[in-house]
Amino acid sequence: MTGVILAVALGAIALGGVLAAGRTTFRAGIGLQAAGAIGLAVAGFWALAAGDEHGAAFTSAFDPRLGVDGLSGLFLGTLGVVAAPALVFSARYLDPDLRGRVVAALTAAFVLALAAVLCARDPLTFLAGWELMTLLPAALILVAREGDRQARETVFAYVAITHLGGAGTWVAILLLARADAIGGSAGIESGSGLQVAIALAALVGMGTKAGVMPLHVWLPRAHPIAPAPVSALMSGVMIKVAIYGLVRVLVEWVGILPVWLGVLVLGVGALSAVGGVVYALFQHDLKRLLALHSIENVGIIVLGIGACLILRARGADEWAAFALAAALLHTLNHAVFKALLFLGAGAFEKAVGSLELDRLGGLLRQMPWTGAAFLVGAMAIAGLPPLNGFASEWLTLQALLHVPTYGGVGGGIAGAVALAALAATAALAVFCFVKVVGLVLLGAPRHAAIPTEAPVEMRAAVVVLAGACVVLGLAPGLLFGSLVGLAPWPAEAPTQVGLELPGTGSLPTAGIAVALVVLTACLVLLRGRRSAAPAPTWACGQLVEPRLRWTSAGFTKPLRLMLEVVLRPQREIVVRESGGVVQEVSYSGHVPHLIDEHLYRPATRAALAGALHARRLQSGSLGTYVAYLIGLVVALLAAARLGVIG
Amino acid sequence: MSAGTVTAGVAQVVGGVALAPLLPGLIQHWKARLQGRRGPTPLQPYRELRRLWGKSAATVEGTTPVYRLTPALVAASAAAAVLLVPAAELAPDWGLGHDALALAGVLALARFALAAAAWDVANGFSLMGASRDLAISVFAEATLVLSLGVAALVAGTTDLRGMVEATAGTGVWSSPALALGGVAFAVVVLAETGRQPVDNPDTHLELTMVHEGPLLEYAGRDLAFLHWAAAARHWLVLVLAAQIFLPHAPGTWWQLGLLPVALVVLCAALALTETHAAKMRILLVPRLLSAGAAVALLGVAAWLVEAA
Repeated sequence: MTGVILAVALGAIALGGVLAAGRTTFRAGIGLQAAGAIGLAVAGFWALAAGDEHGAAFTSAFDPRLGVDGLSGLFLGTLGVVAAPALVFSARYLDPDLRGRVVAALTAAFVLALAAVLCARDPLTFLAGWELMTLLPAALILVAREGDRQARETVFAYVAITHLGGAGTWVAILLLARADAIGGSAGIESGSGLQVAIALAALVGMGTKAGVMPLHVWLPRAHPIAPAPVSALMSGVMIKVAIYGLVRVLVEWVGILPVWLGVLVLGVGALSAVGGVVYALFQHDLKRLLALHSIENVGIIVLGIGACLILRARGADEWAAFALAAALLHTLNHAVFKALLFLGAGAFEKAVGSLELDRLGGLLRQMPWTGAAFLVGAMAIAGLPPLNGFASEWLTLQALLHVPTYGGVGGGIAGAVALAALAATAALAVFCFVKVVGLVLLGAPRHAAIPTEAPVEMRAAVVVLAGACVVLGLAPGLLFGSLVGLAPWPAEAPTQVGLELPGTGSLPTAGIAVALVVLTACLVLLRGRRSAAPAPTWACGQLVEPRLRWTSAGFTKPLRLMLEVVLRPQREIVVRESGGVVQEVSYSGHVPHLIDEHLYRPATRAALAGALHARRLQSGSLGTYVAYLIGLVVALLAAARLGVIG
Repeated sequence: MSAGTVTAGVAQVVGGVALAPLLPGLIQHWKARLQGRRGPTPLQPYRELRRLWGKSAATVEGTTPVYRLTPALVAASAAAAVLLVPAAELAPDWGLGHDALALAGVLALARFALAAAAWDVANGFSLMGASRDLAISVFAEATLVLSLGVAALVAGTTDLRGMVEATAGTGVWSSPALALGGVAFAVVVLAETGRQPVDNPDTHLELTMVHEGPLLEYAGRDLAFLHWAAAARHWLVLVLAAQIFLPHAPGTWWQLGLLPVALVVLCAALALTETHAAKMRILLVPRLLSAGAAVALLGVAAWLVEAA
């Protein structure tokens, strides 16, 4: 049954992609794609709930096979849940001109490539899908931003970095195939060099694609320049497919890893979580800010995986499964709210024409539906109860707290540090999204445009995703049981509405939501309607005129000063005087990206310098090349004679 | 449901809702005495709440429902937090659970709402207070979770009832982990209640306000809600300090009986700190809180070594 729905859904997406390329069938094609995406979601979650396997099983042989199991089902479901609203949104977001039609057709191909990675059951299909998944968004951005030189450079950086880092994926998968370990850990000894090599290669290769620090540099550049629905797919699903790969390799296939690797994964996760949100905080462009938040959330997911690895190494199978389920739940949750936020940003961009935070404002009143949905998404990503982000962050915090519980001083301290890092991350995310909500939705407009509410398709897309944030926040337990069952070792948790785990105070999400709503309603009634006549904001007798309004940079200044030692913000004040009178003061400041400055810039410089030297080898004279050839042959012969080769 | 559970539930609600304003009142009263002034009576917060209750609320031009709903939402999350924090090891199940980490989430909701309201009114002073509050909360949250984490490790659960039960007796004097967690939690108490040296609750200078800043645009019952929520936060953290990190008797009845004594002692301690410590430079507050986090980490290490 699942297989049939899945095949029909994928067929519909493919057909929809073809139709969307036609001028008259553009909307119908996108509609068909969206219907296919809904089918994908149904089939995926069905497979997750059933928990059995369909189609082929995993093989290390290089012959293409497809199949679905519970873990693939979860990620296929996530893909469907994000793709359906994103496609409905794009029906109005994209214009049916040539560019829009190509983007719509390529979007279908992108969704199919993502599904191919998730359904692949052999190394060949997996790697082919993996490469397509990297290349298609590059093509999409190039088409959507045709003629934009900077975008072209960004796409080049994206392709270069994901391929350089992505080599790790090839190494990991090919090593696994060679050890005949795809689908099970049969051939790999725990703690062996091979196991560590596979784990590290996967961490680099898939980590690059997932955007974990310090391999993330492409992400905040590439995600913002894609069209909004594609950004939603990239941030919501593509980086999650990399997480899927990580879970498959690290948790399922390589067997029980040594504790230090778990600690390394925790460290990478903590760095990504804190680093992502800190740099997001100092961004002034909405989409770039959202892209950096993807790094933060991938960090939170990786923290869950790290906790799982350490707990598994310590033999705490139950909590290892809970930690894995926390990571997987956060994967789904982040996909939902990040898609919502990117689509909302797309709607605002259409309406106002800018995504600079200091040029928006007042959109909650001007676009009530989109604005309210965006507010829900912002509260969800900030990890506030009773929404979905809170439930999965709570689970991850619990998992991290249980790392020290199960002993081991080193791993335990790492768990406690990660716990503190995640708590600080949650507070930073609140800070960041208060800023976003305040600058985008609240207060008086800071732009000249008179925006109107988005068309019904775009509105429906964001409202449905906001609804998903609420539902997943109210009843995370319904999914949690199946997620715990995805662990490759026996573990189970009851399926119920809230989250009730041993060793915790339990989180009855619905109870908390009801309490908050009922108490707020009672207090609103208790307050009554007695109010003085409306008056302007009081600011020491001054009116709050546009020049007095707070900016993004101003709001985050206290934290910038507190973190000055680490972040080293740069600022420049130029005072122009003439005749002893100050004519003009200009101020500019920014927070440079430390990893860019201190890791990638020297690396780029060294690579360019190296290339300069290597160029000398290319003299252009035939004689030199013949000499190279003779030298090579002599060296090979000598090596063969000495028995080094052959 | 046993008599102990019912009594503990009544104490929790009556204490958290009705007696909470007494705590800042007591601190103010003793602080004045220590400074050689007569000062207001400990009942002053109640008088202020009554006065505010009779006044009409303010409306700011051009605001959204976020501004109007915030006071109710902040008070509601404080009330939910009161239901989360048990007054003794037996506490009725209010349907919210009693989880320590859930408490952090509910408090964050109030912070988010208040800062969003500051953006809505666009008052520079409100925003200044909100941005400082949020910046401090980054460090406070980490310290809060870590210090509660130490107690959770000792108790083997994050259920606050279980934590109260497991730490009963004089454990805090004998276990280095719990003692270090208690030192870290003391720093959290200062930050969460907004008292010196982190914030000055008596300030009337907008430029120095942290927690008071976002309240500037509210009046009447709205302001009463916000003041009550601030008092309830005193109750929450002081009850946690008394029942987890201070020596407390085993058994619900003794715990309930001795809770007022512990609260009075803690209020006196806060009054003393306020008298002796001047408000810190805002940029130095993270150092204090990070030191707290470091102490809590030491607590975790101590527990790990003990357990090994």
